[in-house]
Amino acid sequence: MDASFLDLLMAQQEEVTEAEGGGGIWVVADVVDGTIAPVTLEAIGAARNLAGSLGAYVYAVLLGDGVSGLATTLYQAGADGVHVADHPALASFAVEPYLEVLLNLFQAEGPEVILFGATPQGQELAPRVAQRLGGGLIEHAVAMTLDEATRTVQAAVPIYGGQYFEILACPQARPQVLTVEPGAFPAPFMDPYRKGEPKSIEVAPAEPRVRVLGPAEDFTPPPVPLAQAPVVVAAGRQAGDFGLVEQLAAALGGRVAGDRGARDAGWIGPEQIVDIRGVTVAPKVYVAVGIRGDTFHNAAIDDARFILAIHPDPTAPIFKVADLCIEADPKEVLPALLTTLGK
Amino acid sequence: MRIIVILGRVLDPRGIVVNPRAGRIFINREEYLLQPADRCALELALRIKEASGAEVVALPRTFLPDDDVLRQALATGADRAVYIAGKPTALPDDGLMARVLVAAVEKLGGADLILTGATTLDTGQGQLGPRLAEALGWPQILGAWTAEVADGAVRAVRQDGTGYVKVEAPLPAVVTVVPGALKPRYPDGRRLINIYKGVGEIAAALERWEATGLVAPEALVPMLERRGQDFPPERERGTRLSGTPEEVARAAADALRARLPR
Repeated sequence: MDASFLDLLMAQQEEVTEAEGGGGIWVVADVVDGTIAPVTLEAIGAARNLAGSLGAYVYAVLLGDGVSGLATTLYQAGADGVHVADHPALASFAVEPYLEVLLNLFQAEGPEVILFGATPQGQELAPRVAQRLGGGLIEHAVAMTLDEATRTVQAAVPIYGGQYFEILACPQARPQVLTVEPGAFPAPFMDPYRKGEPKSIEVAPAEPRVRVLGPAEDFTPPPVPLAQAPVVVAAGRQAGDFGLVEQLAAALGGRVAGDRGARDAGWIGPEQIVDIRGVTVAPKVYVAVGIRGDTFHNAAIDDARFILAIHPDPTAPIFKVADLCIEADPKEVLPALLTTLGK
Repeated sequence: MRIIVILGRVLDPRGIVVNPRAGRIFINREEYLLQPADRCALELALRIKEASGAEVVALPRTFLPDDDVLRQALATGADRAVYIAGKPTALPDDGLMARVLVAAVEKLGGADLILTGATTLDTGQGQLGPRLAEALGWPQILGAWTAEVADGAVRAVRQDGTGYVKVEAPLPAVVTVVPGALKPRYPDGRRLINIYKGVGEIAAALERWEATGLVAPEALVPMLERRGQDFPPERERGTRLSGTPEEVARAAADALRARLPR
């Protein structure tokens, strides 16, 4: 049966009619390599949830050069209106030109809530927009609810990297500006039938005041101490092939370490021993390869946020502290893991 | 040349224990540190002072209950520090502090460079630097690893999507420094003792200003309000993966990818 008339009917029904009169929830889009960044779509999804309770429209702002075609994606993600500043002066991100466009727009439209991605671009722009408009700013929001009585957005922000969350609000200040942590909100349903007519913003380009001189080829960042490394791959006596452990660390962008068994095997230096008598670590990811996990070692990784343990002995104490356990010979699992990570 | 460096303190995370099941935070040892990124900003200010000659003035990032952070800055090498007395807020309120600090910068007679940390250890907030840049109408360089001042401009190295790049902004400017960018020096013991004992010129370098003398009372109303706390779900340890090496590798790779820092 030919159902193309249904598509036509739905397309007509889903034509977005944009409200006039200011207010609303605004999302400033991040464009990465010619596509809308996932965090922008997540922010639009979060904005839609707020908009339902707030009785407001969701608008997106798109800045760049040759980006007008991306407006469709923003409509499909849930924007009721899209404002596009498409100009060669906005081809690469610089604070002043982008800020000028946003401030002119927001001063005219009077938004109630403005969302940015917690990306380098968002972190440069959001505080300046908030400061100029007299708004409050909550950075790195990972959850948002609405206090309907005062139309105030309440946002959870991670403290000490997510050990717990503080719930913050800016009840007095308007607009309420927030930066949204990438990956914290679910991606919205992309409705292919949603569409609209984007509004063009006139751009009077401002001159960037920070000049990029070129790559800093002679600069080497200071080494991160093992205790502060965000990713640690540690070997133990049962690791088998230490070369595979090093390859895994390289694939994950992490530091190589080990327990006393690895030191005895001559694989690591004394400064790389993870142990309460050696180095205590608190990485975001800790991979223990062939480490049995004695009390001294396990106490030293207690603050790790995620522990993956690979060991052939199912009774190894490391499995009591690990989040994810693989009871297998590391020599069998690591090649498969490296292949999968390389894909 | 005058460099203003803005410093804050943070509760040492090693002294706290978070119990998600009880929904409580236990402070076993109440010890405060200089914010790591602010400490690097102070180090950068002192290096610029040594290279180009400058007066380094330390100001607080928040209303602090005591002036320990500023005394440490003086002992480390700052020439002057101003303790701004005001009602401490439950959490750092950068919107409020931006108003106060802009007034303090004006009272000091302006500055050529403002340095502060790019992010705080506890709340991860990085808005103070750009807020000050906007309020003062200055350019900003966020997340610098190192910087130098020459010919009326500040040149810094920062990270972008592709690697490390050199950038330049005309003075006056605001530069924020990433934590761990530089190896900070320790405070000089003798200067520290003199500051706490109130002995010598260094002790006189610490001034006290009232926030109410800098801005109108309505500008001291906090922008941020704390509405509660939430805790992550309790960690489930010991999940065992089973299957062929390829199957467990796939599951492990997915779990790792979801948790790797971006």
